[in-house]
Amino acid sequence: MTRTDFATIVPVLIVTLSACAVLLAEAFRRAGDRMPHGLFGIIGLGGAIYTSVMQWGLNRTGFGVIVADDYALFFNVAICGMGLLAILLSSGTAERDRLPLGEYHALMLFSIAGMMLMGSTRDLLVVFVALEIMSLGVYVLTAIKRSSEEGAEAGFKYFVLGGFSSAFFLYGIALAYAATGSTKLDEIGLLVASSAQQPDLVLLLMLSTILLLVGFAFKVSAVPFHMWTPDAYQGAPTLVTGFMSTAVKAAAFAAFARVFLTALEPFRSEWLPILSAVAGLTMVLGTVVGVAQTNVKRMLAYSSIAHAGYMLLGILAASTTGKAAILFYVVAYAVTNLGAFGVLAALSTNDRPHDEIRDFAGLWTERPGMAALLTVFLLSLGGFPLTVGFIGKWYIFSAAVQQGLISLAVLGVLTSVVSVFFYLRVVVMMYMTDDHAPGQRPAAPRIALAGMLIAVFAVFYLGVLPGELLSVAKASVTNLF
Amino acid sequence: MNMPILTLLVALPFAGGAAVLLTGRDRASLTRWLALGISLVTFVLSLMMWAQFDSTQGGYQLEEVHSWMPDFGISYHVGIDGISLLLVVLTTFLTPIALLCSWESVDQRVREFSFFMLALEAAMIGVFISLDLFLFYVFWDAMLIPMYFLIGIWGYDRRIYASIKFILYTMAGSVLMLLAILWLAYQHQVVHGVPSFDLEALRTLAIPGGVQTWLFLAFAVAFAIKVPLFPFHTWLPDAHVEAPTAGSVILAGVLLKMGTYGLLRFAFPLFPQAAMTFAPYIAILAVIGIVYGALVAMVQPDLKKLVAYSSVSHLGIVVLGLCAMNVNGVQGAVYQMLAHGISTGGLFLVVGMLSDRRHTRLIAEFGGLKAVAPKLVAAFLLVTLASVALPGTNGFVGEFLILIGAFNGQFDVTNARYFTAVAATGVILSAVYMLWMFQRVNYGPITNPKNRGLRDLSVREWLVIGPVCAMAIFMGVFPGVFLRPMEPAVKRTVESVVGSGRPANTKVDPVPPKKAVVVAEVR
Repeated sequence: MTRTDFATIVPVLIVTLSACAVLLAEAFRRAGDRMPHGLFGIIGLGGAIYTSVMQWGLNRTGFGVIVADDYALFFNVAICGMGLLAILLSSGTAERDRLPLGEYHALMLFSIAGMMLMGSTRDLLVVFVALEIMSLGVYVLTAIKRSSEEGAEAGFKYFVLGGFSSAFFLYGIALAYAATGSTKLDEIGLLVASSAQQPDLVLLLMLSTILLLVGFAFKVSAVPFHMWTPDAYQGAPTLVTGFMSTAVKAAAFAAFARVFLTALEPFRSEWLPILSAVAGLTMVLGTVVGVAQTNVKRMLAYSSIAHAGYMLLGILAASTTGKAAILFYVVAYAVTNLGAFGVLAALSTNDRPHDEIRDFAGLWTERPGMAALLTVFLLSLGGFPLTVGFIGKWYIFSAAVQQGLISLAVLGVLTSVVSVFFYLRVVVMMYMTDDHAPGQRPAAPRIALAGMLIAVFAVFYLGVLPGELLSVAKASVTNLF
Repeated sequence: MNMPILTLLVALPFAGGAAVLLTGRDRASLTRWLALGISLVTFVLSLMMWAQFDSTQGGYQLEEVHSWMPDFGISYHVGIDGISLLLVVLTTFLTPIALLCSWESVDQRVREFSFFMLALEAAMIGVFISLDLFLFYVFWDAMLIPMYFLIGIWGYDRRIYASIKFILYTMAGSVLMLLAILWLAYQHQVVHGVPSFDLEALRTLAIPGGVQTWLFLAFAVAFAIKVPLFPFHTWLPDAHVEAPTAGSVILAGVLLKMGTYGLLRFAFPLFPQAAMTFAPYIAILAVIGIVYGALVAMVQPDLKKLVAYSSVSHLGIVVLGLCAMNVNGVQGAVYQMLAHGISTGGLFLVVGMLSDRRHTRLIAEFGGLKAVAPKLVAAFLLVTLASVALPGTNGFVGEFLILIGAFNGQFDVTNARYFTAVAATGVILSAVYMLWMFQRVNYGPITNPKNRGLRDLSVREWLVIGPVCAMAIFMGVFPGVFLRPMEPAVKRTVESVVGSGRPANTKVDPVPPKKAVVVAEVR
């Protein structure tokens, strides 16, 4: 093990250590004491971001399976950033929700370590291990509110279906190994490229591709493997939903894009029609069913399905623009959605969940600041200009248009208009309806408010001056694929 | 003077709007004065812009270019020609009036109302001065949000339905335009190596005919919805009727012009071949809209709805002028855009005043107002006549030029003159429904006792309606003031469309005006 080998996993190690620190702190905590769990997490994630940024451009590999190329580092920074934001937003609100703070932060950090690993490996087996590390943490987080029946149901559903999809994924890896004798992406890629003459090999690889697709489609909640999403998102504590709808999706897309655009790239003509259908259905189902929702968390779950469909367009486009667009979109969606869930979490209390659309009636008069913040986040989700959501959509649709995926792009923009309808339903409630007895909503905790302000700043900053992040995203994908 | 005056025109209302938000919650009158002050300064600034403008030039002036996202060929590129100059001035002229007209009727959440009005003004000006398609789209879509809130919060009973319908309708059209814009930028990359969203750069692109058709349709539908051209008009009566008076004034006065402006500035010049192919069909829709809007307006029991449908009819005339694609037609169209903004804005103001007094807008509730509120009725008469296009008012000039232009239109089909004839009947119909409405509201005995104590114009209302009436007459008597600065720009636009579309039709010289005067006399 050389120093370079070691350097590549330093960011993951730091996060893991901080998770251990949280666990230890929790173990030695006397009942009734308060522990700065969040602070451990912030230090760990900050350290991971720092060590990732320091390795920028070095293109290191470690242990033969870990890569610390710019693509991996981009996702490291992005995912750690989402973790930071989630921790800030849950400060105060998680206590109010009576979540066990030690476990909450430790699980979150462990799953972040798994997520970081997902984007920074070029071996399918490591992808699987990372996927499991990430998923197990999130399964437990979903059900972390032990008194809540919905939480238990959501966690159970998520776990069983997730385990099922992991099995598919593993089977896909096995078939790929059977066909090529390797689990390394570059070696598989070489064999896939030269497999055209051997029909039985093609069949194996085709099957493997489909099974891997199923595994990834489950994690990014693409149709028809999205069934768990609404239940899990609704049942989980609000900020856990925010965290898993953004970070899990980001990590899954990191691995998804890497596997499909390196190892399986020569197979593109085979999986393109399948994935196009998946993307189209995902966009349509996410928006159309989203219209019918009366619960905001459930509605945002369907919106996250729809957004997964837009991100799939980036993989379909497969150009530099397309790949960079995925990276940008992941960040854009994360700041927006985390912000929205942050507002939701700040408005609810343990005995009064504030997540039905009608709960938002007259929010403007009672908590104008919260209403304004949520409006900005919803408009960004809907893709209005001057917000980051617009830039994300613009970029991903331009990638699609450039690659001639016109019909999918048309479907994408039309579904995004439909989605505006249900985002605006909440706005209508907040601003144009007042039948709410005032004085029932709690004030936002200060640190959580700071988190929301950071998110809203990012929404506007990246919405008006996205140039830097766009070029970073572009740089992270140019040397890779 | 090297002041970035166009940028200031966008930044000032926007920053002012933000400043208004900072005023105290309970200090409504301070908020009102501050907002009015900002909008007046913006108006003065726009007049300074006019003063700096060289009316003899057809190209863009006062341009500012700053790189924004250079990798993607996106820049902050603004500039005006004679057409956008006038529309910017129209915007800055109507905004203070709209603010002033809501002085008393908007008493709730004045801060937010003023903020949305000023933000809307900034976005509207942004639309008119953008010369970069990305920038244009940003303003175009950003404008929807304040209007959505204005209708949805301060509107009448069915405001929520109307506001959502408004925003979804407009977006549905504009997202397809976004895709077309993306395609254009990419085509520029294919041809020149770098992407570009710059209007002038994209104008020189050679686009194959088949693709041009689709791109043109994507743009045209977005603008047709905004105009609104028949059959895309159904959002308009709802939005107009449910919006607060200020919202209706801005909606009718400025927002609708963005559709026709978009056709003229973007859709036609970018895709000249497709434009020439589709112009006759758009003209047919326009003519249908003229007659249909007029007929539907005639039977409306609600004053606001009547004015809303009259907008459909009048904007049809504007589109007809644009489709003629000759100097007369386009100049008339631009003039009519301004005139309609003034006269219909005025009509909505008067209806708003009646509605403030009586809390109803039904024609049947009124009658005999002349006896109780003669000054109000005088102003009402003036804007009505302007809307009907009586010679000497602003409406006449525009419609007259459009009809001349359309008569000699550049249509591929031979029956351009029939279009014009049918359109002229729409003009007659407009006299019918407007004057009939005016008669029912203002003349005759007072049938409803509630109308007996009706207040006449207050000082504030004089300040609201006075400038509108003055402008309606001024524009009718001195059309040259407005026709002169736009003429070179119109010529340039027409040449760029007709010149590159197909060999210019030779019959551009106007017919002897006598024939058209006959049309005017019939009314």
